[in-house]
Amino acid sequence: MFDERTLAQSREMADKRDAAYDKIVERFGNSAPAAARDPRTHSGLPIKTAYFPHDVAGLDFGQIGAPGQYPFTRGNLAAQYQVMNWANQPVIGYGLPEDTRARMDLLSARGMTGYFGQKFYNLVYDLVSHEGLDPDHAGARGRVGQCGMAVYSKADMARLFDGMDLTKMNVVHITYYQVVPALAQYIAYAEERGVSPDQLRGNSMNWYHQSAYVGMSAFPPENGHRLAVELIAYCAKNMPRWNTTNLFGYGVEEAGGTAVQEIGLMLAYGIDLVRACVQAGLTADEALMRFGFQIAQANDFFEEICKIRALRRLWATTMHEKFGAEDPRAMHVRIHTHTSGACLTAQQPLVNLIRTTLHAFGAALSGVQAMEVSAYDEALSIPTEESATLALRVQQVIQEETNITRVSDPLAGSYFVESLTDQVAQAALELVDKVEAQGGYIAAQQNGWIRREIEDQAERWREEVNSGERRIVGMNCYQAEEAEKAPEIFRVDAEPERVSAERVRALRASRDAARYDKAIKNFLDAAHAFAAKDYHQLGDGELMEAAIEAARADATTGEMMGVMKEALGWRAPHEY
Amino acid sequence: MNTEVQTTTPEAPKLGEAVRVLLAKPTHDCHDRGVRLVARKFRDAGFEVIFSNFLLPSEIINTAVEEDVQVIGVSTSAGGHMPVFEDLIAGLKENGLEDVILIGGGVIPADDEAVLKDWGVKAVFGPGTTAEDAIDLIRAEFGGPA
Repeated sequence: MFDERTLAQSREMADKRDAAYDKIVERFGNSAPAAARDPRTHSGLPIKTAYFPHDVAGLDFGQIGAPGQYPFTRGNLAAQYQVMNWANQPVIGYGLPEDTRARMDLLSARGMTGYFGQKFYNLVYDLVSHEGLDPDHAGARGRVGQCGMAVYSKADMARLFDGMDLTKMNVVHITYYQVVPALAQYIAYAEERGVSPDQLRGNSMNWYHQSAYVGMSAFPPENGHRLAVELIAYCAKNMPRWNTTNLFGYGVEEAGGTAVQEIGLMLAYGIDLVRACVQAGLTADEALMRFGFQIAQANDFFEEICKIRALRRLWATTMHEKFGAEDPRAMHVRIHTHTSGACLTAQQPLVNLIRTTLHAFGAALSGVQAMEVSAYDEALSIPTEESATLALRVQQVIQEETNITRVSDPLAGSYFVESLTDQVAQAALELVDKVEAQGGYIAAQQNGWIRREIEDQAERWREEVNSGERRIVGMNCYQAEEAEKAPEIFRVDAEPERVSAERVRALRASRDAARYDKAIKNFLDAAHAFAAKDYHQLGDGELMEAAIEAARADATTGEMMGVMKEALGWRAPHEY
Repeated sequence: MNTEVQTTTPEAPKLGEAVRVLLAKPTHDCHDRGVRLVARKFRDAGFEVIFSNFLLPSEIINTAVEEDVQVIGVSTSAGGHMPVFEDLIAGLKENGLEDVILIGGGVIPADDEAVLKDWGVKAVFGPGTTAEDAIDLIRAEFGGPA
């Protein structure tokens, strides 16, 4: 990258500077912060206190490349935000479907815009749906419409979407493991509106892999993996505009993992997933075409940026070299940033607005495709209308006022950023090697290695916070002097619970019982057959077709998940 | 009911000496980073920890009876905690387990915390507290090294 003379100069200047630096630190003696002598990223990677040309001289310039060119370190496309901003994707969902619809319309009216100016709705289901229950189940008490929308059937889809043009909007269905019922109900509803699956745009989560590090009950790892492959194969044939899979790096960092673990584990899972898709008869390009990534943007400003640049490069090179991916779209890492919720504090909650602004700013500098900015009151409750709007405004201020959207990958070429990008990439590859040595991601999940590794880091974080080594404003330093005034918090009232339970009972009473019985029995048979299949037999579409027919017959989420739990197994993930 | 029984170290106190703690998390609440850390810290502190997921509060009661625990900790970060505690307290009474100490943790608004304490919940460990705070409370109740 540099000629010999420049490199010699660089080293000479660095030596001089380092000597001067050491003198300054010496003068401070024991009062110098530990980070002055041993600076590290939040992942624990050693860094230098100043960077020079010779620090990046060993890097392969081809690995950095250009925006829109393989290996896409600098971004997926030649244009970043010059012609189109990143999509504003706040997560929406609470109460009855009608409540959620009102919040969708409100944010839309306040300027929330998706790709190509289309409507874009990032919709989260409630806790009851996540558990695979119906609202009249005893376990649903107090949880209907909490942390998400109370949507459990094709009929609820109508309450959510009637009057909207399904072909001109993107709908992200944020489920946990009720991926199949939710998509089946959406497809069945769209059919009634005269819209076929191939016209639908949006995302399924398809993220069973998160049970390696997230605690809620789940299908066994092997069966989750097979469900993921099945949906990818189904969509490859029937839903070309549907994004099939969300790689949930975000959950790794939220569970306490590091930036290195976040991208390393996503790459390791990606390898296992594509390997299984290839076994099921898909090409790498077919399998990979509609993957998305949900990535955290947390506190270590530069490491988080470098993490994203490293992920783009590692993903493209791995998928190309290992699986023969050729289509650029199959090698792209499309990122939905979610600013870190775990970095937010309950203390002095308005300070969270400053944190989320820095997170969003870092994500924008890294060139991500979409963003959800956490609301400042997330450590306290579901966001209020005011806090949800302010979170959207954070994105809009960066987009409209800072002028950073004019230049693609503006940090490229920074000695520090390029050096750290490579360092994060190397560390992530080492992690991938460790996972592969255990037989791949699913194996490393089954033996508990992934969960242990992340828990170790969560513990390290807590120790650092407790000892004050890691400082968190308002929490372990600069605490409020007076007792804090409790902010207004958002509460979902009990009415949705009553109404939802009534609705689901009415639906069961009014639907065509014969058609339902036949469809749910058929779905159960298909689920049992699915459980017995090898990877190479996956992708026949039988499970999805049976699910869609059940949804047409007004099967509820609880009923459909009941079938899947019975056929595939369902337990706390630490038990597998 | 999903349980995972583990003691910290081979030299954990003999049966009858270690405080037995049941830590429970709703099956659909993915925010388990805190409670899993608390489980580790409790084990390090010499408590015998049973970690479980639950769908219904009755499952917690059943495990508490089977495992003969002295402390139940419920971690909840996704709302819906009030009915859980309500049912738990009723269930403890029904089973003659009034002396079992009930603690809460996670994201529980201050208003709810006040109500829970009225109901008899010993303490709520929310944001800003540490596992050590909970360990101190349990040791204050049952003795053991400070």
